[in-house]
Amino acid sequence: MEETVGPSEMIVHLGPQHPMLPGPFRVNAKLRGETIVDSEVEIGYIHKGIEKILENKTYLQGITIVDRICYLEALTNEEAYVGCVEKLAGIEVPERAQYIRVIMEELSRIQSHILGMGEYASFIGFVSMFMYTIRDREDLMSVIDSVTGARITHSFLRFGGVKDDLPDGFKDDVKYVFGNLKKAIDQYEVLFSSDSIYKARTVGIGTLTADVAKDLGVSGPPLRATGVAFDIRRDEPYLVYNDLDFKVCTQKDGDVYARIQVRLDEMRESMYIVEQCLDQIPSGPLFPEGTAYGKRSPVMRIPAGEVFHRVEAPRGEMGFYMISDGSDKPYRVKIRGPVYPTLQALPPLLKGVTVADIVAIAGSMDTCTSEVDR
Amino acid sequence: MQLDDIIYNPLLRGILGLCLMGAIFLGAMGAVWFERKLAGDIQQRLGPARAGPYGLLQLVADAIKLFTKEDIIPKNADRLLFISAPILMMGSVFLMLVAIPFGAIIIDGVTYPIAATDMDISILYIEAVSAISVIGIFMAAYSSNNKFSLLGAFRNFARMIGYEVPLGICIVSVAIMAGSLNIIEIAQAQSPLWFIIKQPLGFIVFFIAIMADMGRLPFDQNESEEELIAGWITEYTGMRFGLGFFAEYIHLILGSMLIVLLFLGGWNLPAALTANTILGIILPTAFYLGKVILVILTIIMIRWAVPRYRIDQVVDLSWKRLLPLALLNLGWVIALGLLGV
Repeated sequence: MEETVGPSEMIVHLGPQHPMLPGPFRVNAKLRGETIVDSEVEIGYIHKGIEKILENKTYLQGITIVDRICYLEALTNEEAYVGCVEKLAGIEVPERAQYIRVIMEELSRIQSHILGMGEYASFIGFVSMFMYTIRDREDLMSVIDSVTGARITHSFLRFGGVKDDLPDGFKDDVKYVFGNLKKAIDQYEVLFSSDSIYKARTVGIGTLTADVAKDLGVSGPPLRATGVAFDIRRDEPYLVYNDLDFKVCTQKDGDVYARIQVRLDEMRESMYIVEQCLDQIPSGPLFPEGTAYGKRSPVMRIPAGEVFHRVEAPRGEMGFYMISDGSDKPYRVKIRGPVYPTLQALPPLLKGVTVADIVAIAGSMDTCTSEVDR
Repeated sequence: MQLDDIIYNPLLRGILGLCLMGAIFLGAMGAVWFERKLAGDIQQRLGPARAGPYGLLQLVADAIKLFTKEDIIPKNADRLLFISAPILMMGSVFLMLVAIPFGAIIIDGVTYPIAATDMDISILYIEAVSAISVIGIFMAAYSSNNKFSLLGAFRNFARMIGYEVPLGICIVSVAIMAGSLNIIEIAQAQSPLWFIIKQPLGFIVFFIAIMADMGRLPFDQNESEEELIAGWITEYTGMRFGLGFFAEYIHLILGSMLIVLLFLGGWNLPAALTANTILGIILPTAFYLGKVILVILTIIMIRWAVPRYRIDQVVDLSWKRLLPLALLNLGWVIALGLLGV
């Protein structure tokens, strides 16, 4: 963006401490009146150096670190990291542990989507909706908490398995929570599709085309809202997703309304997946037989090699590229997060819209700045 | 005649005006509490619950906080404008207050409205002075030397130009139907039939326009906190912020009173109910204020149930929807008048 300002133009800096941006990043917008002429996104305010930290931690210690990349998708981050190590070391995860992982990751996807949706509603001034989603999310958090022992940073996955088995009565808890959640989601859908102000603020706003999205590497709900049916759970299955029945939710329009709708549909699909898992889950060990992975601190030397493993995080494609030199620490870890490309899609989308739509469009992307600035 | 002398005594009127001023402050505090409690109910949480019974003392705590906060004036602000803007806004709502009746006392079939003044053009006067607050908002935004404030002020002007026109036309329709510009006579004119029944379209347009006038969501673009931090009031702290905040709530109450006076029949009751002296003193005012509270309740509930319009959509709504509807309503009222209904 050029810093020179023409007549009747001004540059407004939204962020990094703007009250309503989804996380500390900055949008520099050049305005003519209310219309945005040009804009750019600045990131890097909360860089944590996680890739470097991982090089200095043993493999097992790394699990707690990848949780902190983004607290809303902690479990899928762990899955990507643990999956890398399992590929390198050739560890076979027992089936029960795989099912537990799928259940927990889908639950985590639902809570992330529901929060993203509520946050978006509050960005266009619909604060009550935000409160409703917080209420519904709270039940989910309790269910997740009952298994992992933590609300956001779980450290639940282990190489070759999971930390704990599902507690007694877990199935009933999930059934109860899902019963409420399904009703709530139906209500949200009716509310969204019948509210004329909501539609005026979302339909046709921030339209991302499939070509631009693919060029920039956008993934997850923003990509699927443009009509591209790309979902790593189906296209490059990991865990037991092959045995499960689910559809990839897409919308055609690529606008804000479509992105929110995709999240709503995906929550339903995730609930369906969890229900299937709870019906199919076999009994068995949580760790491969005859190994020490389940012990508190296994001495782990991972064979040398390079590997890339990616999973479908709530916000899109989360991938870890890992090089091992045969020691107990990774030689190099590169993280490919879903939100960085999504943020790159913002400046072209913001051209020509009004100030009120900045937070609306940025919010509908469900960005997680913590993950961009890893 | 003895009673009339007492009622039209200028000194007593002045004292009454001061009492009404105090009452409206209490009312505004009540409205704040009411809004927070109701918002809590709508959002399935408690709202203020810790300070005092039902959180009633929360307002006192808030007032103490506002009074004791550091009063910051930005370095590059225009001091004179910055300081006088909230005063101007408060002045605007108090000028409105002068002409709006707070109820009425009916003694022996004669109605004595509780208002500081009884002027013949009061509805025009109310319209005129309520527009002053927009100048106050622009002064605040311009003087605080903040881009977000300035954007908020721009929006405020764009919105005001949009909604004042349909609002004015609706008031004209009401004045034509009542045959008077005096708000007390307009209220009296609805004795058998309220104007909401005679001109429902006018009521809808007026209701939307007055909500925009009060700056209530979905029309609070001038201080939409999501994109403009707090809009025109961003740089204000302490009691200066408090004045602007209170001015808005007083505006909410006065606007609701206008709705009741112009369309919902004011304090009119069947004569049989007010024949008794004691009932004549209590009932009309209670009936009137009860309706005002219902209107306030409706407006607050709307605020928490909808998202916010974008500013261009508000201007569209005012010029393309409300204005034609208001003109249609004006034609309807004139037609009714010609037919002698």
